[in-house]
Amino acid sequence: MNRVLNVARMQLINKWTFLGIPAIIMASAFLITLAIWALIPETGETKYAGSGQAVMWYFLALGIQSLTLTFPFSQAMSVSRRTFYLGTLGLFAVVALATSVIYYVLGLVETATGGWGMNGQMYALGWIAAEPGPVQILFYFISMITLFMIGFWFATVYKRWQATGMLVAGIGTAAVLLGIVALITWQGRWPQVGQWFAAQTPQTVAGWAALFCAVLAAGSYLTLRRATP
Amino acid sequence: MNRPLHTEPEAPVIELRSVCKRFKDTTALDSVSLSLAGNRIYGLLGRNGAGKTTLMSVLTGQGFHSSGEVRVLGGSPYENDSVLNRICFIRESQKYPDDFTPLQAFKSAALFFRHWDADFALQLAGEFQLPLKRRIKKLSRGQLSAVGVVIGLASRAEITFFDEPYLGLDAVARQIFYDRLVQDFSDYPRTIILSSHLIDEVANLLEHVILIDRGRIVLDDDAEAIRGSAVTVTGAASKVEPFVAGLTVLHRETLASLASVTVEAGLTEAQRSEAADLGLEIAPVSLQQLVVRKTLAAAEEFSANAAATEMEVSR
Amino acid sequence: MIDESRPIFLQIAERIENDIVSGALAEEAQVPSTNEFAAFYRINPATAAKGVNRLVEDGILYKRRGIGMFVAAGARERLLARHREDFARQYVQPLVQEARKLGIGAGQLTDMIKHSYTATQDLTEGSVAQ
Repeated sequence: MNRVLNVARMQLINKWTFLGIPAIIMASAFLITLAIWALIPETGETKYAGSGQAVMWYFLALGIQSLTLTFPFSQAMSVSRRTFYLGTLGLFAVVALATSVIYYVLGLVETATGGWGMNGQMYALGWIAAEPGPVQILFYFISMITLFMIGFWFATVYKRWQATGMLVAGIGTAAVLLGIVALITWQGRWPQVGQWFAAQTPQTVAGWAALFCAVLAAGSYLTLRRATP
Repeated sequence: MNRPLHTEPEAPVIELRSVCKRFKDTTALDSVSLSLAGNRIYGLLGRNGAGKTTLMSVLTGQGFHSSGEVRVLGGSPYENDSVLNRICFIRESQKYPDDFTPLQAFKSAALFFRHWDADFALQLAGEFQLPLKRRIKKLSRGQLSAVGVVIGLASRAEITFFDEPYLGLDAVARQIFYDRLVQDFSDYPRTIILSSHLIDEVANLLEHVILIDRGRIVLDDDAEAIRGSAVTVTGAASKVEPFVAGLTVLHRETLASLASVTVEAGLTEAQRSEAADLGLEIAPVSLQQLVVRKTLAAAEEFSANAAATEMEVSR
Repeated sequence: MIDESRPIFLQIAERIENDIVSGALAEEAQVPSTNEFAAFYRINPATAAKGVNRLVEDGILYKRRGIGMFVAAGARERLLARHREDFARQYVQPLVQEARKLGIGAGQLTDMIKHSYTATQDLTEGSVAQ
């Protein structure tokens, strides 16, 4: 367990990667949005901004980076793949949890200040803000983990099978998605699909996402086990 | 010598039994069997592509063997933290996290190598003139190699593998490495496995030599036993040939009526006298020359076998 | 310094023996440690130890626990005696063979030797006992 913690410590030696950059992204997205809103004349209508998302995409890149840049070095540090996996994912889980809590708190502040005094909506998105606190945090948490895991999974495929692997994974994924779309279209089931989507709640989305993450997590672990630095 | 890190120095710390590693079209390791005792400096010698790196990869759980048994410190190294945290493998071209400085690399090493000596690392970095706070990706080839060498030495791991990490180092830096290696090994005995194709430079540092060629172990012997185990007999061919009859010939060269034959034999006093009487010159064979000859002999045998197999197939 | 083609431990032993014979290392004097030998000659410490241990086995050196290796009493005499035994085989036999090759007779060879003794008398005064 100690070695797992040390992997986390190693990932944090460069403070920017896991802490600094996410903080900067969140802060700058927030400030820029406020600045833009300040310029727009006040009409009483709610202003929406997707700035909450900004850091999520960074987490996707982080998923990739945390493997490609650090895995070969971890092997030189005589760290087993399992330890590296647990330490890296564990660290990110903590970061994701902390960020989710921050999102929730910012959402509360947003509501309390009437949209930052400008009727804005960045964090307290209607669909989610209606849910109890723990559900909100869980939703954000799972979303971040999902994006991280997608990046991490791709990176393990690359590490194991290089360009060929990436190609197969990319084409495979596209094929599966296209296949599903084709199937739904052929069966004329789009209305049902639309209804199903509309019926989703943050809990159910989080549930599906968690399932998806579990599959990615297992897949990336199994792929990593036979990867060489 | 003092403070050995192994508890039972005579028990083998590394054991390989018929280990094979096959890639799609090549056999990188061909039924390798070795038993290495602890607290020695081993030289893993061989040409480029002979299998040195593959062997070290397998021993450190970083690469995978196709068949056979690998035991390091009593266990299988693959994904085995209890074994892994006692070994260190420094590669020729080691990759470091982007933006890492040597200082940060040392900080990482401190987290994972239980015997890590931070002061020693800094001292070595000074001797190699390493800029501690410059990004590793901005370092020269020699400085990059130096980072690896420093980590390998300062880790004081029970088994330390150096896979030609000094290839980027200039002659002065290499000498510093050899000197510090011998010194630190004297103070903190442990098992060190050094791979190299610069035989003459490392020859005197080695206690035991393992020569690998095309994935096969060609030589596995005590360095001192190897030194003096071969001689070159030169003189009139008519006198040389009967003299070396029955001895294992490693190499033969002829020029007109002269012959120069390298044989794998330690000559007795009587034989030396006989040679002197015959007017034959007995020249010693250095470790490097012996390694080269053995490698070439193995290559000849390999192509002879290959040709024979081809002839069989074509029949 | 080190001959690549002969066992190094033998060369280490020989160097120590030469120092004892020449008087550079007196009896009961301390010999450098194996680590010091290893560092000086840039060789493996185990090899240095092998050379030193050989001399211990031969009774030329002895070990004082916790302090180091020392030259044994009577070591010089023993070495001189051994070198004298080897002298005939190592020097005289090749000398005679070479002399035969060149057609130098026994009498002529003996004269040469006597001449060499007198000529070098002054140079070697004060070293090995006459």
